[in-house]
Amino acid sequence: MEFLQLALNGVALGAAYALVALGFVLILNATGAVNFAQGDLVAAGGFVAVALAGILPAPGYLLLPLVAILMAALGLAVSAVAYWPLRDRPPVAVFISTIALGIIIQNGLNGLFGAEPRAAPPLFAGGQLEFFGLVIARQSLSIMATAALLIGAVQLLLTRTQLGRRLRATAQDREVAAALGIPVGAMIALTFALAAALAGAAGMLLANRYFITPTHGTDFIVKAYIAVVIGGWGRIGGALAGAMLVALFETVVAAWADYAVATGLLYVAMLTILVFRPRGLFGEAEGRRA
Amino acid sequence: MQPGLFVPAVSTVVSLTLLCGAAFTEVPRYPVLVPLTGFLSLEGTSQRNGAVMALEEDASVAYEVHDTGTSPEVAVNAMERALRDRIHTGAIIGPILGTQMLAMLPLAEEYGVPLVTISGTAKLTEMGNPWIFRFFPGDAVTKVAHARYVVEELGRRRPAILYQTTAYGQSGRGQLETTFRSLGAEPVYQEGLDVSVKDMTPALSKAMAARPDVLVLHMHSGPTALLIRQARARGIDLPIVAGSAMHQPSTAALLEPSELKDVCAETGASPISGGSPEMERFTAEYRQKFGSDPDAFALAQYDATRMLLLARHAGATGDAPLRDWLARSEYKGLAMTYRSDGKGNMAHDAVIVCYDGETRTPHIVQRYEGVDLAN
Repeated sequence: MEFLQLALNGVALGAAYALVALGFVLILNATGAVNFAQGDLVAAGGFVAVALAGILPAPGYLLLPLVAILMAALGLAVSAVAYWPLRDRPPVAVFISTIALGIIIQNGLNGLFGAEPRAAPPLFAGGQLEFFGLVIARQSLSIMATAALLIGAVQLLLTRTQLGRRLRATAQDREVAAALGIPVGAMIALTFALAAALAGAAGMLLANRYFITPTHGTDFIVKAYIAVVIGGWGRIGGALAGAMLVALFETVVAAWADYAVATGLLYVAMLTILVFRPRGLFGEAEGRRA
Repeated sequence: MQPGLFVPAVSTVVSLTLLCGAAFTEVPRYPVLVPLTGFLSLEGTSQRNGAVMALEEDASVAYEVHDTGTSPEVAVNAMERALRDRIHTGAIIGPILGTQMLAMLPLAEEYGVPLVTISGTAKLTEMGNPWIFRFFPGDAVTKVAHARYVVEELGRRRPAILYQTTAYGQSGRGQLETTFRSLGAEPVYQEGLDVSVKDMTPALSKAMAARPDVLVLHMHSGPTALLIRQARARGIDLPIVAGSAMHQPSTAALLEPSELKDVCAETGASPISGGSPEMERFTAEYRQKFGSDPDAFALAQYDATRMLLLARHAGATGDAPLRDWLARSEYKGLAMTYRSDGKGNMAHDAVIVCYDGETRTPHIVQRYEGVDLAN
């Protein structure tokens, strides 16, 4: 029963990590570069939720779309500042610019909101539910349901819509996509907006359950990076599986060993996977590493 | 922008303007070098606010605020910049971050300028440097009070210690373990948690399996609140005695009052708990000036800066006279009475605060005075 309880906690945590990793992969595929500001966008999403809750006394489920919209706008700004001027440079230039932008976001949040940990409002009511001897917070259930909904929606967008096909075409080969008349620049900007909206949603969900500070973004980007490496560079399904694995190490494995040992074992698992499957569990989508 | 940020930004400009005329008017200046960004920015902001509040009460001095971030190099560079022309520097108000202070100590000796801090790192005052003065009780005071309260007042002898894996966490854990053992209470479980850990259920499960009769925490602000919330959500109703992060109003704000029932914390002082008209006046003025509640770090830095200013008005101007005055004088501040133990440790008292489960304002339940001096 204890194992099931910990696994349930791990799935809830992994669901939020999956949203972070999904946004990370979308930009990776669209631009070929790592967006190191993705973790700081998660933190920004948490603080946007905190700020909105202070202005609009509305339930969390009504604030979530607003957070996503505002964060999408921030994503467009990120693409304009950190990607667009460097789009013809090697991917390393973009990833350095996103590191710089992440630091700016972090310090901006510190200046605007202060360094205190903050809690965003819950999506629905707080409290917890008990069933079959397992206890789960309502917010954890909300996190799992929201993450499943958003990931499903992104999957539908990418596979079942004309816009999604254009986004995928841009991700696969920008030059060919442009030759086919697809507005590549707009597609990339849209990808940044989508990734930032997902980061915002993750930030709001995490900020209620686990609090948020301006410096938390660093933790999230490290976890997203590990998840993507484990799952397969550029693989959406792989990133989601990798995010779950990271979270399960933090909960299930950490219950058996010290946290420090569990973290060490996570890296050992990652290295083992890379030895036997150098392109990650699900293979590599792009074959490019930044 | 936070109200607290605007004031120092403007004050820095004002101070720099004053500095332009410093050579002519001999206005003494007090560089405030504190971490305003990075993982210690919460404590650094409190430090800055306390120093700024004291400095702005004295119109005859100037100050400038520099962010030291989180790395020793940035702190050393900030100190070099502040001391570049060495015109009428009263003293340096140094960062709470121990690694930065350790890097700044040789410079203080080289330039011969008093360095005042609220950092708890024990080593700072163990290196024989006569220029360092620490105004916040270190682990030798707070952790001893922490363990004594658990054993002597609560009567608990099976503590489970959960601490942070940072230098701060490990240093405190060592002192806690030593004191518990000296009091005949063997810790039944100990585990270090990284600051990035989100789900603390595994640690709580392992700790509870050891059948403790009290949870003893020595963690940073966010993780402290997270652990208490997750413990209460799991139905763990053991008393929790936490480190000084718990006394910070911003930590209590993360929790419901009901989750705070049977939660206590050690700290140097608790301004929002009141206790004297002077303390209440300080708290009210702080709230008005910075739009937030003061914590023990802000109060300690306020007291430290007030003592520096008192030294100046007592005629202790210049580096060596100021150092000697600080080393031999006693100052009754708002939090406690400060006096050096010969190594630069000025603070020797600690208090235990507890929450009643009805509000987020803690009450002082126990005072420990002269803890390290008695040893």
